Amino acid sequence: MRAESCLLSKRSGTSFVSKIVADFLFIGSGIVLTLELLVGSIFIGLVVGGLFAVARACCICKTAINCIVSVVRGTPVILQLSFFYFAVPQIFGCKLGIVLTGIIAFGINSSAYVSEILRAGIESLPKGQFEVSRSLGIPAFHMWKDIILPQVVMNIFPTFINETVTLLKETALVATIGGMDVMRRSQVIAAEQYEYFIPLSIAAFIYYLFVLLIEFIGRKVEGLKLYAENLQRP
Amino acid sequence: MLKICNVRKSFNGVNVLDSVSLDIGSSSIVGLAGASGGGKSTLLRCIQGLEVPDSGTIDYDCRIGFVFQDFQLFPHMTVLQNLVYAPALKAGIDKKQCIAKAQAILEDLGIGEKAAEYPRILSGGQKQRVALARSLMIDPDVLLCDEPTSGLDVATTEDVAALLERVNRLGVTIVIASHDLDFLAQISDRIVLLNRGKIVIEINPKDHSDAVEHLKSHYG
Repeated sequence: MRAESCLLSKRSGTSFVSKIVADFLFIGSGIVLTLELLVGSIFIGLVVGGLFAVARACCICKTAINCIVSVVRGTPVILQLSFFYFAVPQIFGCKLGIVLTGIIAFGINSSAYVSEILRAGIESLPKGQFEVSRSLGIPAFHMWKDIILPQVVMNIFPTFINETVTLLKETALVATIGGMDVMRRSQVIAAEQYEYFIPLSIAAFIYYLFVLLIEFIGRKVEGLKLYAENLQRP
Repeated sequence: MLKICNVRKSFNGVNVLDSVSLDIGSSSIVGLAGASGGGKSTLLRCIQGLEVPDSGTIDYDCRIGFVFQDFQLFPHMTVLQNLVYAPALKAGIDKKQCIAKAQAILEDLGIGEKAAEYPRILSGGQKQRVALARSLMIDPDVLLCDEPTSGLDVATTEDVAALLERVNRLGVTIVIASHDLDFLAQISDRIVLLNRGKIVIEINPKDHSDAVEHLKSHYG
């Protein structure tokens, strides 16, 4: 809070440039929360989504997982966020923090989409890859770990980058439960100064910069020799 | 060595195998001939355990290797890794010995220099050799080959025939499903013609000067 007060006080500078710099610093410092939410929810999305996808492919709890995925994909993210922040504490009697709530809500939402992306990747592999693994006596765990998932990950990587970009932008919804992320900070300045163009433009610039960064990393990974050499099927 | 007794298999109400019975002795080369949909591949898949017969029994007391029609090499692994991966998982196996064995098999099949390559740059014939080499890594007593010459040119088909004969001379029983009657007549000790899931005729091609024509006359 002390740091925020300091930043807010800096915004009281007189010149136009110093005002923009102060606004940029104040809004930009919200990227920490945005990245926390992004990294946390990607982690949950990958782990839970991966488990969902493999479990469904192995027909373990398939109906239950299908129901969960259907409900999560069929309801708005903002509703899920509000549910975890307002409704869940009413049922269980313990309130989670904004960051934890955001990570859980965005993570579970992402896991539904990641599991669908992985499902498509698994189903796009030739059935023969599973059959040859069986005929060579490869145990199921090793088959998934070393044969199936490496190929699936390479096939779905561009789609996964797309999901990451979507997730980054969705984290802006944390502003609705009071999270001081990039979006919320731009709204604070806008509400304080009755001026929307500059703070919202700064927020847009920051989000766009990070989207470009994610796309750049994605293209670099896709350009790696190992990835490029093995993307094509024999 | 391998006894197939009254095996039936249907898909969506269509009989693909209809009371198929077959005895396969050791060190022989048995060809399964027939038109597409005749049941050749399904019979091989039932033997390997990739399909469960609706009824009937398949008894064997030996190791079985399977060479898939479309090779099914692991695209993200080098040729050597393709060969070594599965055997090296078994408990008590020395990985160095495994690699040496794989190198020896690759050399033997004439593709030793391809060990570090990825499958996608190999030709059809080379992929077939790698698939064969991978199956040989488990020291099979019986090798099932599904359409081993599919998509290969005449010269490569000759190479594959010579390779399979060499493998057979090592004591490996080979069962080949193929629609290429000339290839089967050249290599097999016995050809079984399947039509609509039933065995129509069994011949020893060496006993017939016109084995291919004889088989064609029994096509449905």
